[in-house]
Amino acid sequence: MVSLNRRFLIGDFRGAFVVEGKGKNPIESIFRLMIEHQFIDGLLTCSKTGDSPKLILKSDEVELPSKNTCFGVNSLLKRAIQKYRFSKLAVYAPACTFDGLNKTQYFGIGCNWTKTAISLKVGFLCPGLLTENGFTAEVSDIAGKPGKVERFYFDRGELFYLLEDGNSIKVPPSVHHHYVNSACRYCLNMAAKGTDITCVSLKEEDKVLFIVRSERGWSTLAHLQKVSPGEVLFRKADGEPLSSVENFLREKILLNIADIVERVELGLPVPKWNDNKLRKFYRIWNSVDVNFEEEVF
Amino acid sequence: MLLIEEVGMFYRDRLSFEEEDFKLKVGFLHFSSCSGCQVAFLDMFEEAVEILDTVELVYSNMLTKRRDIPRMDVAFVEGALCVEDPHHINLLREVGKKAKVVVAVGGCAAFGGVRRLSCGNQLPQPQSQTFVPITEVEFLRTKVKYAIPGCPPNPSLLYSFLLALLEVNEDFLLPFELMTSSTKASGFDIVSEVVNKGFCVGCGTCSTACPTRAISFNRECGKPAFNANLCVHCGSCLAACPQSFKPYPQPVYV
Repeated sequence: MVSLNRRFLIGDFRGAFVVEGKGKNPIESIFRLMIEHQFIDGLLTCSKTGDSPKLILKSDEVELPSKNTCFGVNSLLKRAIQKYRFSKLAVYAPACTFDGLNKTQYFGIGCNWTKTAISLKVGFLCPGLLTENGFTAEVSDIAGKPGKVERFYFDRGELFYLLEDGNSIKVPPSVHHHYVNSACRYCLNMAAKGTDITCVSLKEEDKVLFIVRSERGWSTLAHLQKVSPGEVLFRKADGEPLSSVENFLREKILLNIADIVERVELGLPVPKWNDNKLRKFYRIWNSVDVNFEEEVF
Repeated sequence: MLLIEEVGMFYRDRLSFEEEDFKLKVGFLHFSSCSGCQVAFLDMFEEAVEILDTVELVYSNMLTKRRDIPRMDVAFVEGALCVEDPHHINLLREVGKKAKVVVAVGGCAAFGGVRRLSCGNQLPQPQSQTFVPITEVEFLRTKVKYAIPGCPPNPSLLYSFLLALLEVNEDFLLPFELMTSSTKASGFDIVSEVVNKGFCVGCGTCSTACPTRAISFNRECGKPAFNANLCVHCGSCLAACPQSFKPYPQPVYV
């Protein structure tokens, strides 16, 4: 039986930190510094609105998506690696983008030599992606009136949207689950496990929770602190921010699991090369003593 | 003593090896295609040299001078079979007789590729002939073990595939084994197998994998947009999609 513990929900990590950016978005500051100090030669992400992929080449162009909408990032992979010949590319995207990227790195299908061209993978904790229409409908449903979403953040285990008019609305997971992209309802990797660093947006715009997973992520941040000390401040976070994130993930993943179980029981179709995709999880969910860490769902 | 007779750019003289120096004998066989798949093998550069320590190239229409086809362990076959061409029929018989394992390399051999656009049955124009991918030929059904998608397949994929073949890495090889049973794969599959079944996450990997830009990105709905007129049926998009299969182990971080 899969237990919804921290290891399953968040995955293995080396350390968690609340990062403060002195009035600026700390992730943007970090990427800016990395480009300036040539730690990376480009950043692959989405535009601020999240509707189109963006390849950032200069430090003053760094602008990251602030909403949980980030589509088509990998469509610029070939341009970055084969046209611009980038060999130290950083990617900032949700977990599903890294599924595609990790698969390309492992098998070599899709884009040539991706294995050696990616220098840093930064994923954001994604509660499920929405299109612009999805946001409009969801805000109307929750707030009772239309509104434009400016950014999303987590506060004490709850998901919030900051609207353009300055108000924040609390987004219940059950309502959010109804509006997300259909594939996001089967996602069990919202914390972006296959990345170097996962970042979680917090209420204050200049604060982010960093979950550092790999040696590469750890040493990159260490080098960054060495070359520009004081630019971003790190405070170890073991208690509250992590456990509240864990609680949110548990609540949302239970909804996703219910959808997976329902889909398998109804026998709804899956892609032809992977007829075991959801059934594998279904078997593990209903069994005892399975090493789920070796599997990718 | 095992005597290996080979000529060509890699082994110019008769070489003799001890039994323990046994190398996997591979050959490249060419049906109807642009030969881009063999060129992709050469694009491995330094990595190709590493592999040649453990692999012996016994036949290739481009790289060796040999005219007769010797026995081989693995035959990499590129191109689709032209049903009207007697040379292809003879080659097909030879492959069935001489190769232990056949790997269909590239879209033409695996899924029909650009040859799917031919109209059939009227010699002599090539566009009017009939072509089938070797994965559809019953005669080779037991021998074709793996199909590699792409037009051409990435050199890094071919390198990783060869390594997996040498190491018998079943995790890596399993999806390519599954692809042999799927004789068709095109951009339509991305629409019908992934998008229509509610599995598309909008990551854009299919779009970057497409060699002809038949798949672009629809910003409004965050899903791929498919232009059937540009598709060459190489199967790259479905193979690259993280939702089509992903049996690789999760990266482990310490």
